[in-house]
Amino acid sequence: MTDERPTEFQRFNLTFRIQHVILVVTFLLLAFTGWSLKYPEPALEYTGWWIRLWGGPKTAGIIHRTAGLIMIVDFIWHVIYLIYHLITGRMKFDPATTIVPVPSDITNAVQNMLYFIGLGKTKPKFARYNYIQKFDYWAVFWGMAIIGLSGLILTFPTQASIFFPQWSANWIWEVLFTLHSDEALLAITYITIMHFYAEHLKWANFPMSMTWITGRISLRHMKEEHPLEYELEFKGKPDVKNP
Amino acid sequence: MLFFIISKTSFFVYNLLAIVNSLIPFRQKKGGLMSRALVIALLIVPLIGFAQIASAESFTCLACHGAMKGKIKTDKGSFIEVNIDEERFSKSVHGGIECTVCHKTFKDNPHEAPKGEVPKNVSELASLVSSKAKIDPVAYAACSECHGDIYTQVSQSIHGRNIMEKKQSDGALCNDCHGSPHYVAPAKSKASLVNKWNVVKTCGECHQNEAIAKKYNLGTHIIEKYEESFHGKKHKLGHAGVPTCVDCHGAHGIKKWDDPASPVAWGNRVVMCGKCHPGANKKFVASITHKPLGKDNPIPYFAEKGLIILTVSTIGFVILHVFLEAYADIRDRVFRKGKEDSHD
Repeated sequence: MTDERPTEFQRFNLTFRIQHVILVVTFLLLAFTGWSLKYPEPALEYTGWWIRLWGGPKTAGIIHRTAGLIMIVDFIWHVIYLIYHLITGRMKFDPATTIVPVPSDITNAVQNMLYFIGLGKTKPKFARYNYIQKFDYWAVFWGMAIIGLSGLILTFPTQASIFFPQWSANWIWEVLFTLHSDEALLAITYITIMHFYAEHLKWANFPMSMTWITGRISLRHMKEEHPLEYELEFKGKPDVKNP
Repeated sequence: MLFFIISKTSFFVYNLLAIVNSLIPFRQKKGGLMSRALVIALLIVPLIGFAQIASAESFTCLACHGAMKGKIKTDKGSFIEVNIDEERFSKSVHGGIECTVCHKTFKDNPHEAPKGEVPKNVSELASLVSSKAKIDPVAYAACSECHGDIYTQVSQSIHGRNIMEKKQSDGALCNDCHGSPHYVAPAKSKASLVNKWNVVKTCGECHQNEAIAKKYNLGTHIIEKYEESFHGKKHKLGHAGVPTCVDCHGAHGIKKWDDPASPVAWGNRVVMCGKCHPGANKKFVASITHKPLGKDNPIPYFAEKGLIILTVSTIGFVILHVFLEAYADIRDRVFRKGKEDSHD
């Protein structure tokens, strides 16, 4: 039976992978088209080459709104999927696998930082999601809620204005616009720095972690990066050799 | 129709003259005086015939004013520009018009006896705009002869009344928005100062000017706030459907925004915004204030500041974390080989 011993662990199912791919595509489209509106180039002929690349301001606007709606649908699908799986018991809360922040994340973060600068001897033992991955997830979650909602309101301003009280009418749009664009800037910079480092530049993952396509993680990698989950999954089972 | 023929003829003649002008130095070098005289004779002599019916005057004026450079001092001591760029003038919408159609006081030899006949309505208007039009108020008032309706609108607008009733010497009249009448380009053309892509800057000449803002108690950040808005950003990107200043506030008949006759007064704003935003309501149309962030507009101000703090601190933390992680990763792999399995 030695040949059938697993060398990889299924980390993400197909649904999550599809949701992630939709998120990636719509995120990039939104970032590329939205960027030109946040920083309009007063270039030659009043349109920069960037906005022309996206078919001009009008087409870019249509792309932006369409991608935004798809992302919102993706978000709702993800939330409903989670709720359904939690209600039916297919997904259970376990500190070793949860994405929800728990107290140990804070101690892990401190311990990890100390390790980075050489003041700690050992790396913290991470669960299925380390604190950075949780931060990643909730940043996107919060971002999609805030940017998605403000974007939806900005797409249908006359209809949405009915729901705002009169006393907010003078400033609410400026707040929404600032919220939408600054949160988006935060999301873009966060993703290009943190997520790209973790999944592309990091020594272990360079040039790219394949987990987002296969959904699998090597056991060696799992043991190093997510020891608590490894213990949960493989405790008592015969250890596997490093692939 | 007759006017059209005359203007086109003079245009043609004038262009030919320009060609001759450009030929002369060349001819001088090669053929000397004889050939130069020949060219002029060949071209000019038959043209004089045209010119008599058409526009002898424009030649005569431009002969000097096309060549003069710099400014001259008037009797009252102010310096005025007397040069007319012939090429640009010929290409402007007014290129075919005789000088004296507008400069009515100069009939024969202006520098000796200006005594052209000025119609009564023009001279009345000239005295109204004299505070603004220091050089030749009659020429300024003469716009009304062709652009009568627009002049009436302007005279009732806040810009027009500021000059005609309050006798101010600044503020907008024809030339301030359209540029010199000698070089005015068609409104839709690229060169026009009032086309969709230039008009915001043109309005900004005064509405971003601090001295004028102070004098007339205007908002100082109007243009800036427009440029930061969705409308302004799309305008910058070249979105053809986007409104500029004049689309909401009106152009020639512009009123102060809270004047009930202004299209953006509270009573009219639902209609105005509704042109592009069907279903616009009172709450929706209150959104554009052009107010700068700060004292008068505190909530967006603090929202923006809060978001900047959030963004900068998050990004700062993230960059720090990435660098530390990369440093530790490389350190472990290079200097602590073999230790990495210790926590298995």
